[in-house]
Amino acid sequence: MQKKKLSNKIIFISLTVLTFFLYWYGKEIANYLDSKWLVKYPKHYSFPFAIYTSTFVKWLINDANFWLFTFNDLTRFFAWIIEQPYNIVLAIFSKGILKGQGQDAIQIMEPLSWISVVGIFFTLALYTRDKFLIILVVLSIVYLAVFDQWQSSMITLSSIIIAVPIGVVLGILLGILSYKSKILEKIITPILDLMQTVPVFAYLVPILVMFGFGPVSALIATIIYAMPPMVRTTLLALNSIDPQLKESGLMSGCTERQLMWKVLIPVSKPTLLIGVNQVIMLSLNMVIIASMIGAGGLGYDVLASLRRLDIGGGIESGIAIVVIAIALDRLSQSFANLPTLSKKTQKTFFTKYKKIIFLIFYIIGIYILGNFFTFFKLFPEELMINTSLFWEELVKYININYFDNLESFKITLLTFFMLPIKKFFLGIPWPWFIFIITIIGWYFGKTKLALLCLMMSIFIVTTGLWEKAMITLYLCGSSVIIASIIGIPLGIWAGLSSRANKILTAFIDTLQTLPSFVYLIPVVMLFRVGDFTAMIAVILYALAPAVRYTAHGVKNINNQIVEAALISGCSQRQLLFKIRLPLALPEILLGINQTIMLALSMLVITALVGTRDLGQEVYIGLTKADIGRGLVAGLCVAFISIIADRIIKAGSNNLKNKYGIK
Amino acid sequence: MKILKNKFNILLSFIFILFAQNIYAVESKDPIKLTLHDWTGQLITTNIMAEVLKEAGYNIELVPADYIAQFAGLQTGDLHVAMEMWETTGRDAIDEYTADGRVVNVGSTGMDAIEEWWYPSYMKEKCPGLPNWEALNDCAEAFSTPETSPKGRYLGGPVTWGGYDDERVEALELDWEVIHAGTDGALFGELESAYQRKAPIMLWVYAPHWAPSKYDGEFVEFPPYTTECYTDPSWGINKNAAYDCGKPRGPIWKVASSMLKDKWPGAYDAVEAFTLDSNEMGNLVAAVDLDGNTVEAVVAEWMANNKDRWGTWIK
Amino acid sequence: MSLSPKLICKNVWKLYGDNPKEFLKSHNNNPDKEIIKKSGYIQAIRNASLEVYENEILVIMGLSGSGKSTLVRCMSRLVDPTIGEIFFENIDMGKLSKNELIEIRRHKMGMVFQHFALFPHRTVIENIAFPLEVQGIKRKEREKSALEIIDLVGLQGRENYFPKELSGGQQQRVGIGRSLAVKPELWFLDEPFSALDPLIRKEMQNEFLKIQNSLKKTIIFITHDFDEAIKLADRIIIMNEGRIVQIGSPEDLIMKPADDYVKEFTEDLPRERLLSVKSIMDTKKEPNNSSTVYEDEKIFSILEKVLSEGSVSVLDKSNNIIGSLNKETVSKFINN
Repeated sequence: MQKKKLSNKIIFISLTVLTFFLYWYGKEIANYLDSKWLVKYPKHYSFPFAIYTSTFVKWLINDANFWLFTFNDLTRFFAWIIEQPYNIVLAIFSKGILKGQGQDAIQIMEPLSWISVVGIFFTLALYTRDKFLIILVVLSIVYLAVFDQWQSSMITLSSIIIAVPIGVVLGILLGILSYKSKILEKIITPILDLMQTVPVFAYLVPILVMFGFGPVSALIATIIYAMPPMVRTTLLALNSIDPQLKESGLMSGCTERQLMWKVLIPVSKPTLLIGVNQVIMLSLNMVIIASMIGAGGLGYDVLASLRRLDIGGGIESGIAIVVIAIALDRLSQSFANLPTLSKKTQKTFFTKYKKIIFLIFYIIGIYILGNFFTFFKLFPEELMINTSLFWEELVKYININYFDNLESFKITLLTFFMLPIKKFFLGIPWPWFIFIITIIGWYFGKTKLALLCLMMSIFIVTTGLWEKAMITLYLCGSSVIIASIIGIPLGIWAGLSSRANKILTAFIDTLQTLPSFVYLIPVVMLFRVGDFTAMIAVILYALAPAVRYTAHGVKNINNQIVEAALISGCSQRQLLFKIRLPLALPEILLGINQTIMLALSMLVITALVGTRDLGQEVYIGLTKADIGRGLVAGLCVAFISIIADRIIKAGSNNLKNKYGIK
Repeated sequence: MKILKNKFNILLSFIFILFAQNIYAVESKDPIKLTLHDWTGQLITTNIMAEVLKEAGYNIELVPADYIAQFAGLQTGDLHVAMEMWETTGRDAIDEYTADGRVVNVGSTGMDAIEEWWYPSYMKEKCPGLPNWEALNDCAEAFSTPETSPKGRYLGGPVTWGGYDDERVEALELDWEVIHAGTDGALFGELESAYQRKAPIMLWVYAPHWAPSKYDGEFVEFPPYTTECYTDPSWGINKNAAYDCGKPRGPIWKVASSMLKDKWPGAYDAVEAFTLDSNEMGNLVAAVDLDGNTVEAVVAEWMANNKDRWGTWIK
Repeated sequence: MSLSPKLICKNVWKLYGDNPKEFLKSHNNNPDKEIIKKSGYIQAIRNASLEVYENEILVIMGLSGSGKSTLVRCMSRLVDPTIGEIFFENIDMGKLSKNELIEIRRHKMGMVFQHFALFPHRTVIENIAFPLEVQGIKRKEREKSALEIIDLVGLQGRENYFPKELSGGQQQRVGIGRSLAVKPELWFLDEPFSALDPLIRKEMQNEFLKIQNSLKKTIIFITHDFDEAIKLADRIIIMNEGRIVQIGSPEDLIMKPADDYVKEFTEDLPRERLLSVKSIMDTKKEPNNSSTVYEDEKIFSILEKVLSEGSVSVLDKSNNIIGSLNKETVSKFINN
């Protein structure tokens, strides 16, 4: 054992030394050997994946034919199906019931007034019996009216109301199917990986072409992005059901269908609700991107504000998204945790549905009142608040007074931290890099992982995007390092003090749901276009999991272990560094893993402030409507995150197994 | 499905013609969908077009859409008219999508796009030789930042915009470094920031746009563009390199789905007839972005004052 | 106790692994324990044959991992045996279609689980009525039958509680109730009381015997607790490493343990409390005893009598003398 450890150490050190040696002298060696391909992958060897992909998608859309109908008919049919319920919901919340089209349309019935929507959310919150939550939810909805975000918010809300149930139902169905068939599970899992890691920008254009321009395409993009966690949660929930429960269902004489719908699914409801919560949050993350392909709503407002450099307008619309997200998140979470209490008395129809009946009368009442007093229909304009000026002045103030300080801070970080990392990644010859990645894969996950790493890196090389991939790695790497340096201590703090936890959770939730587009422009104004700005934006977005997982790991340690440490005479400091942190390490690793995933997904968006990485390539694919280029670059991003994910997860599992904790 | 729907529409319009004594003689009452983008000029052009078509009796719907992504919709006939496709930024897309005839170029809006290096007026004190491009090298240092020093820093547009600025710097032997912004949001964000601090900045600005009216400044004057300049290295100051001149200025095009011509030929003619000139547009944009009027109000005023002009479009 | 077998297992094997059927076939359906292990298979049940008689309580007893749970799951076909036949009321369980199997479970079988396996989203009455619900019986009707069972298991007044509002003992009453809802003929109980506290366990055992006295089901009861087995069983099956080691009455096991494994279980038991006179009496009839004892009296209750009298006669139920018992035999038995 000792011997093995020692030899591992020797191999590790020699590989590191070799890596640095090659980084410094790689070019000279290549020149000396007269084989330049060692440092720069020759262009004419790249495989034109992009062109083939484009041709294939074009064929699919224009010529693919299933005898009775074309591929295009099929996709349009799906679009039509999704469009119907969407139109109904949109009519209820935003447009009213219309007759006719375009400007000839006559409104037959008004949409729900803002007071009615407040009523609906109030009633929903009542079921949770949580006073704080009721206040929070009502205030959130009132915010939308007061800050003049009502129209757009309702459009966004309508698309969430459609996207979430579709995502949830599809997710559960796919989850059930893959629970029943091992083969299907094996097919679905990698597809889910790709759905979660290929940047959305990469498949926007194909979706547009297939499903037509407008809110439906946006809904479909949202569903693709938000559904995978639902499939995973369903599968997880079903697999973790006590086998005795399943047997007791069978022994009660259930058919297979009865077993699924009367026993397994209801029993996994609490876990499934966590999945629903995830779907809601991810759908809201998509609001901005969805608005690029015609979803309208708050996302469109944010984009338009950016275009006008209306920072305040962007922040107000952005916060409207945050507010909706937090209200829906807290609501769905507390529904998941709702205690089931005994029905000790038999209920009549009225007492059972009391709240809903009241709500219906309330809405009708408001509707009638709305015909007499506009206050009940529209929030009065003179009561609305506009903070645009405040934000603008704030950014201006910081810009004028602190720009120089920020600038010198930025220069220091750039020269001593970011640039060396960049040079390192770009300097290592690609064959050596692939070799090292494969070795790391083998060390943590044996042959299978090594093969995966090898195949995926080779794919990236052959697309000819190696250099951009390395810039991606450098940007992602430096962001993750700084995010960890900030996030882990914050997480420790949150894990040790419940008050800190509360404050930090609110802060992190805001950071994660506030569309990055909102702070992209102020950050550009303060730090100029460039890698540094991109890094700041990435850190802001990717900080959350580092904090959250660390807090969870530090807090959730078996109490007996803590007591044992205290009895042994640990000081609080020793307790933290000798007990809590080492035991939280697997969890912290998972947090960093999540941070990497978020950083990679954010890099595509930072292409908007001028990076030169794979994100830019994806973005070019989007703006030039070049399907193949976008998809191939998107796949490269996906492969990088899959490699990182598998290696870190394997490492974390090894640690957990070593400590025997699950 | 679609054919059936069309037949139904034709039938409907027949009934219309027979019984309703159609006042407008409109080919179809289905809504014509015009796309809205996220800059004021385009909102104004599109709204004017929409109002004009409404006057002619057409049913109009305005749909927010992305500048390039909208082509997918135009191609399939989900969208019908896009009022501003700039020669300077939309050329590739126009070429790609008009190739098979499903999208058509309906001609110029009459406005010309300008894209060029631009600087705020306060920089003239530090670099009195401007706007002549030959002054650029003398005051490169004045435009530098710590990252580019001693070279000047020029903030170019997103790489997707093309523009050949890297080649231009090379060909004219400028001591400048080109940094590419990712979007025009970032571009003008930096301008706003520098303008607030009266800090040096040189960047890509295009017109018609609100920026030249909001910020006081000028375009750099390069040797004027010719086609040879871009294609023939021996042309111009540098005998060994192309791109030793300014950027081309080109029209802003209108594009439409081929469906427009088939289904609403009258509307197609109106779109084709539409023209505005750049100065007029500059004033309209300023009325919105600087004076704080709404797009609707500005458009309504224009409609009231120019009845004789738009009247001819829908004849 | 009538002797018609309700359920018969013939040479049942259960192996886990890639292709256990082929493996068994290639080894003559009787592979060595070592070979099984070496070939990467896990042996859960090894060649088990047994009969379950009508109305008896058959206890299957063994330590964890001995295969007792798997065996019982083979009998209910929750698990398919690798090879071997199982007949329930002369029906070959292995040949049943899915629907036929569901029909049998809906009307003839019930099962109680170690960890109760109650449906957490259903109230007590909904849990108990569940087997009737899946048969499609109307709400009114099934709730009526469920209420009868709630009476039987002593949960009156708790009908509308959710499982997690009940104590462990009460939860298992629900489990028992649910398994009885279809009035099964064959009743499986898989370690039903082992998750309960000792005092509650004892109470539940008594309750169970009471229920069985009134219902007279054919019962297969699994436990790892030998005391419990002896207390409840008509017959006991001892399993070890997937193999049936011994089948017999409690007394058979104590008096004639088949091997050291069984012996180890029985050694520390208070044998005088478990064994009856019959098992140690002398079959020579010595009529000159003034005192008599019955053959099925437990030894500890006649101890004093024998020690003071020196010798007693043993009577059967109809008071015929069938043997005798003297002081020496008894003291020898106790000091053993």
